[in-house]
Amino acid sequence: MSFALRFILKEMRSSEVITLIIALIISVGTVTSISLFVDRLQLSFEQESANLLAADRVVRSDEPFPENWQQHAQTLGLEHAQRTSFATMIFANDKLQLSQISAVTEAYPLRGEFLVDDQLFAQGGPAKQGPAEGEIWLSSRLASLLDVKIGQSVEVGDKVLQIARYLVIDPGSSTSAFAVSPRAVMNAADLAATHVIIPGSRVRYSLLLAGERNTLGQYESWIKPQLKDGQRWQTPKQKGQSIGQTINKAESFLLLSGTLAVVLSGVAMALASARFVKRHLMQVAVLKTLGATPRILSKLFSLQLFMLFLIGAGGGLISGWFIQAGIASLLSSLMTTALPEPSIGKLWLGIATGFISLLAFCLPLIIRLIQISPLSVLQPSARIEKNALAIYAIGFVGLYGLMCLYTQGFILPTIMTLAIAGVGLVVSVLGWVMFKLGRLATSGATSGWQIGLASLYRRLTPNLFQLLVFTLIIMLGLILVGIKTSLVSDWQAQLPEDAPNHYLFNVQANQVEGINSISQQLDLTSSSWFPMVRGRITQVNEDLVEDLYPEGTPEPELFEREMNLTWANEVGDGNQVVAGDFHAEGISLEQKTAEEAGITLGDKLTISIGGIHYTLPVTSIRSVDWSSMRPNFYVIVPKQTLADYPANFVSSFFVKADQAQDFYHAMSRYPTVSILNVGDLLKQIQNIIAQLSQAIQLVLLCILAAGALVLVASIGSTLEERREEGALLRVLGAKASLVRQALIVEFGFLGLFSGLIAALGAEASLYAVQTFVFKSAASWHPLLWGLGPVIGVVLITSIGVFASRTVLKVPPMHLLREF
Amino acid sequence: MDKITALQTHNLTHTVTSKTGDLTILKGIDIEIKEGESVAIVGASGSGKSTLLGLLAGLDRNTSGEITLYNHSLTSLSEEKRALLRGQYVGFIFQSFHLLPSLEAIENVMLPSELKGDKQARQKAEHLLEQVGLSHRLTHYPRQLSGGEQQRVAIARAFASEPKILFADEPTGNLDEENGKTVIQLLFDLNRSQGTTLIMVTHDNALASMCDRQLIMSAGQLKEGNL
Repeated sequence: MSFALRFILKEMRSSEVITLIIALIISVGTVTSISLFVDRLQLSFEQESANLLAADRVVRSDEPFPENWQQHAQTLGLEHAQRTSFATMIFANDKLQLSQISAVTEAYPLRGEFLVDDQLFAQGGPAKQGPAEGEIWLSSRLASLLDVKIGQSVEVGDKVLQIARYLVIDPGSSTSAFAVSPRAVMNAADLAATHVIIPGSRVRYSLLLAGERNTLGQYESWIKPQLKDGQRWQTPKQKGQSIGQTINKAESFLLLSGTLAVVLSGVAMALASARFVKRHLMQVAVLKTLGATPRILSKLFSLQLFMLFLIGAGGGLISGWFIQAGIASLLSSLMTTALPEPSIGKLWLGIATGFISLLAFCLPLIIRLIQISPLSVLQPSARIEKNALAIYAIGFVGLYGLMCLYTQGFILPTIMTLAIAGVGLVVSVLGWVMFKLGRLATSGATSGWQIGLASLYRRLTPNLFQLLVFTLIIMLGLILVGIKTSLVSDWQAQLPEDAPNHYLFNVQANQVEGINSISQQLDLTSSSWFPMVRGRITQVNEDLVEDLYPEGTPEPELFEREMNLTWANEVGDGNQVVAGDFHAEGISLEQKTAEEAGITLGDKLTISIGGIHYTLPVTSIRSVDWSSMRPNFYVIVPKQTLADYPANFVSSFFVKADQAQDFYHAMSRYPTVSILNVGDLLKQIQNIIAQLSQAIQLVLLCILAAGALVLVASIGSTLEERREEGALLRVLGAKASLVRQALIVEFGFLGLFSGLIAALGAEASLYAVQTFVFKSAASWHPLLWGLGPVIGVVLITSIGVFASRTVLKVPPMHLLREF
Repeated sequence: MDKITALQTHNLTHTVTSKTGDLTILKGIDIEIKEGESVAIVGASGSGKSTLLGLLAGLDRNTSGEITLYNHSLTSLSEEKRALLRGQYVGFIFQSFHLLPSLEAIENVMLPSELKGDKQARQKAEHLLEQVGLSHRLTHYPRQLSGGEQQRVAIARAFASEPKILFADEPTGNLDEENGKTVIQLLFDLNRSQGTTLIMVTHDNALASMCDRQLIMSAGQLKEGNL
C-alpha cells in the first residue's frame, strides 16, 4: 500500500486535514495540560495535607486496634507509626492541669515535622522525631499553667517525665481545632507505665501510614471492610476539608473550561470532516471505478485517521506537557514548595480525548464516505445517503462520554448537554421565525439588505446550523466570562488577604478587654467576640433524644455531643437567615445540621446547660459559610438564656507574619487562653487560588483558539456556496458593493442573533452551574447581554466577510468556470 | 472463429424509487458486445444512457435481469467482488475527467496498477503518458493542466489497468473541437492497439458514427441503429 501512504501524505496538506489536526492538538493539549496540572496540584496538596495529618493515611479507632493491622502494613512495605491521644491530668509541684497528650512511637511523624523551641511562646524550629523515652514536650501554655521549665519534671499518671522542649506544633493535631486543653507529647514506650488508660477512658488510637499511592490503596481496600463504628479511614483530603473543597471546586471549574475547548474542537473537527467528505465524495467514487474495493478504502481511510491521531494526539500531548510546565514555572514564585513532577500515567485522558473525538466526529462521516455509490461518477444525484441524525447522535454520545470522563460524574455534563440541547431548540425555533420574517419583509431582491436577509431563509438548514454553532461558541465564551467573574471573585471575596489566621478561645469575660488592647496596639484585624457556653440538646418537642436515638443507632451531629452555644444580636458575617426571624425569642439553627436532625421552624428543643433545662422554639434557620474562617456556631440561643453562665469567649484575628512574635509574647500574659494558628492552612488555600487563577487564563486561551478554529471551519463549509451565489449575482449585473452589503447584512444578522440567544443561554447555564455545581448563590449578569450581541456582530461579520472576501475579488467569469 | 463475448445482458431492467413512485429507467434490455468492438450509445438526455453504462460497468446493481461480464454474472456479486472485477476488466473515461486533484499526473495514472499491487506501476504510467503526449507533464497537478491535457491523463489512467472493456461517458463533452479530436484519436488508437472493447455514451453523432455499432436509447429501450 505504498500509494496509500503517498495518498495520505498528499492529503495532509489540505485545509480540512490541517483543521482536523489543529483541532485534535487543541483538544488533546487542553485536556492533557489540565489533567497533568491538576494532578500536580493534587499531589502537592496531598503532600502538604499529609504534613497536617503527619502521614499519607491514618486509621483512627476509639479502641486499641488489632495487632494484624500494623502487621499488614509491614507486609505491604508501608511506613507506619502509632499515636495514642487522650486527655488526662498532669501534675507538677502542687499544680495540676487537664491536658491533651499524644503518645507517639519512634517513627512519628511520617510526614511533616514537629515544631519545638527552648523558649516559651517562641515560633519554634523543626524536629523530625518525638520526645525520647522518659521525656515529655509541653506546650508553652501548659508549661505556664503548671509553672514549670525545661529540665523540670511532671507526672503523667504513675510516670515521672522530664520536660525536654516546649511544643509549638504537633503535625498530626495542629488542625484538630477545638481541642481546648493544652497539649503535650510523650514517647509511646512510657505509656504503659503511666497506668492512665483504663477501661472506659476516652482514648483515640491512630495508626499512621505512608507509602506508595497504590500500596495505600491496597491497604485501604483490605482495611475498610473491617472497620466498625468508631473506626475511620482518614485521607489528607478529609483532613483539610476547606482546602479539599477549594481544590474540588477548582478541578470542576478547570475541567468545565476544558470541556468547552473539547466541545469547540469537536465541532471544528465535525465541520472539517464534513468538508473533507464532501470534497472526497467524487474521488472515492472514482477510486471505486478504478477497482478500489470497500476493504481497500476502509484500510486507506483507517490508516489516514490513524496518522491523524498520531500527529494530532502526539502534538497535543507534547503541547499539553509544555503548557502545564509553563503554568507550573509561572507559578513557582508563588509556591512555598516545588510542585511534584506530573505523572506520565495521567496522559491517558488526553489520549482518550483524541481517540474518542476522532471516533465520534470523523469516523461516522468517513464511513458514509466509503459507502458512496460508484455510480455517482456518472450521476451526480446518486450522492451519499445523508443519515445526519445518526451522525450527530454519535458525535453527541462521544462528547457526553468525554465530559463524564472528565468530571467523573453526570451532573455537569448533563447540565451542559441540556443547555446545548435547549439552545439548539430555541435557536432552531427563533431562527426559523426570524429568517422567515426577514424573507417576508424583503420580497424582490433589489438591495443588499434584501438579498442578505433573504439568503438567510433560502439556505435555512445550513444557516440554522451556523446560527447554532455561533450561538454555542458565544454562549460558552460568555459562560466562561460569567464563571470567571462571579466564581473566581467569589473565592477571593470569601478569603480576603486579611482573612483571620488565629483563633483565640477559652477567653474569660474579664480578659476580653486586655486582649482587645493588645489587638489595638498591634493594629490587628479581628472579628467580634462570641460568648461560648457548653450545652447539650436533650429533648426534641416531647421526645427525649435518647429515646429517639437509642444507644448504638447513629444519631445526628446535633445530638451527638455537648456543643458550644452562643448568643448574638445580629446575624454574623457569612451567615444568612434562610427561614424564620433571627431576632425572635428562640433558637437559631444552622441549616445542614437542622436538616440532618429533621428539625424545622417551630420545633421545640430542650437544651441542658449545667444541668438546668431550657425549652425554646426554633425561630430561625441559617446557612453558614464554613470556609469564611470566622467562628461559626450550629446553635445560637437568646442572650438571657446564657446570661447567668460564665462564658468563654472566642474570636478570630488576622496577625501578619512579622507581628506573630510580638503577638505571642503579649499573649503570654494570658496563659489560660488557647491560641490556634490556622495561618498555614490559609496560606495554602490562597496559594491554590492564585495557582488556579493563572491556570484558568491559559485554559481560556486554549478555548479561544478552539473557538476561532470553529468559526473559520464553519464559514469554510458554506464558502463554496456563497462564492457561487456571489458570482451569479455579479454575472447578473450586481456591483461588488451590493454583494459586499449582502454579505455584511447576512453575517451581521447571524452574529446579532447568535449573540442575543447566547446571552440568554449563558445566563440560564450560569444559573444552573452556580446553583447545582458550585452551590453558591446565583446572580444576574447584565454584562453578558451587552457583550453577547456586540461580540456576535463584530466577530462574525468581520470573520465572515474576511473569509468570503474571495467572493468579491475573483472575477465572476472565473467562478462560473469553476462551477 | 467467433469472437469472445465481452459483455451480455438478458432482460436487463432497472427501476428506481422516487418520491412520485417507482420509475422504470431500463425496460428489458438485451445486448451482446463482442471483444474488441466499439459501441456508441446515443439518445436524448434522461433516456437512461448513463444508467445503462453504470450497470454494464458494475457500478450499481440492476433491479432484475442478468448482466454477464466475461462470464461473471454481475447481478449476484457484492460490492467488494464487483470492485475487484472492475479493477481487473474495466476502465473508465468521464466527461469531467475526475482526476484526483491532490495527486500528480503520473500518480493519477499509477493508481489502477497500484490498486492491483503492480510493482511496475511507475514505468507503465510513464510509458502511457508518453503515448498520450504528456511526458513533459508527469509531475503536474491536474489544476496545472488544460482540459484536453486532463482528459489525456484520464485516458492514460484508463489504459493503465490494461482493461478488457473501456467505458467512456461523453469523453469530449467538456472539450473544444480540437482537443476533442485529439482525445478521440487517442482513444481509438489505444482501442485498436490493445484490442480493448470500447463502450461509449455520447451526444456527438460524428463521434458515434466512428464506432463499429450504434445503439439508440429511447424510453428505456435500446435498439440497434444507423446514424
